[in-house]
Amino acid sequence: MESHRVLKESQIMKIHYITGIAAIFVVAVHILMRLIVPFELSLEYDYIIANYKNIIYVLILESILILISVHGFNGMRIILLELRQTKPWENMVTVVTISAMIALIAYGTRTIILANGL
Amino acid sequence: MKEIEQPSRNNLEGLKGWLNPTRYGWERISYWFQRLTGVFLLIYFIGHVYETSTIVNGQNAWESFLELTQTVWGHLFLIMVIGASTFHSANGIRLIFTHAGIGLGTPSRPDYPYSPSSLNYRQKSGIWIALILSAAAMFYGFNILFGE
Repeated sequence: MESHRVLKESQIMKIHYITGIAAIFVVAVHILMRLIVPFELSLEYDYIIANYKNIIYVLILESILILISVHGFNGMRIILLELRQTKPWENMVTVVTISAMIALIAYGTRTIILANGL
Repeated sequence: MKEIEQPSRNNLEGLKGWLNPTRYGWERISYWFQRLTGVFLLIYFIGHVYETSTIVNGQNAWESFLELTQTVWGHLFLIMVIGASTFHSANGIRLIFTHAGIGLGTPSRPDYPYSPSSLNYRQKSGIWIALILSAAAMFYGFNILFGE
């Protein structure tokens, strides 16, 4: 029986490239937010909380979280599949990387929501 | 239905082959760095998401966690992150172009000493640009973190 795939590997590579390129732009904005004020000041509690209350910045943070999680864990999946090519290994790697990706996005989103409410 | 037999893995080197630097050419170095920096950045990203989550526990929790990272070693680690992310981004853009067939040149007959036509000056320049940008970003980061 032919195994069912949600996405073709070529489509996954396009997602990998798009998330990588998009991440460069949003991470650049994130780093600029540290550099428009003296670096030490940019790490102060009140400044960070003010960042979390700015809705545009919150959207940027959430997009960084999603883009890098998808790109990073898919990259890890690609590396692991290069090392070994069997069906059980591929299935296990896919399940573990997608689960870790969802867990990290959920944990980071929790921080953004809670910090926004402080 | 007859099960398809899994091929023998005796001829595969796995991680050992991946880490063996004795047969490295330009593309191999770039391949290895891209993966190494990718794994390193993913580990940093997970740590960064955890580190920033301490802010929800209040100012004291945030400042005490920050003390752990605002050290000389913490700053040196951040400079490594800056270098790794710059190389990974610049080399990643080169790889996207390469995957699209841009910068590979035209196919040619393999003549001795069998230099691959795909590894032309454009590809080598791309790898050099990624390395130089990475060094420049690390220098800039060093000035920001240690310059005050």
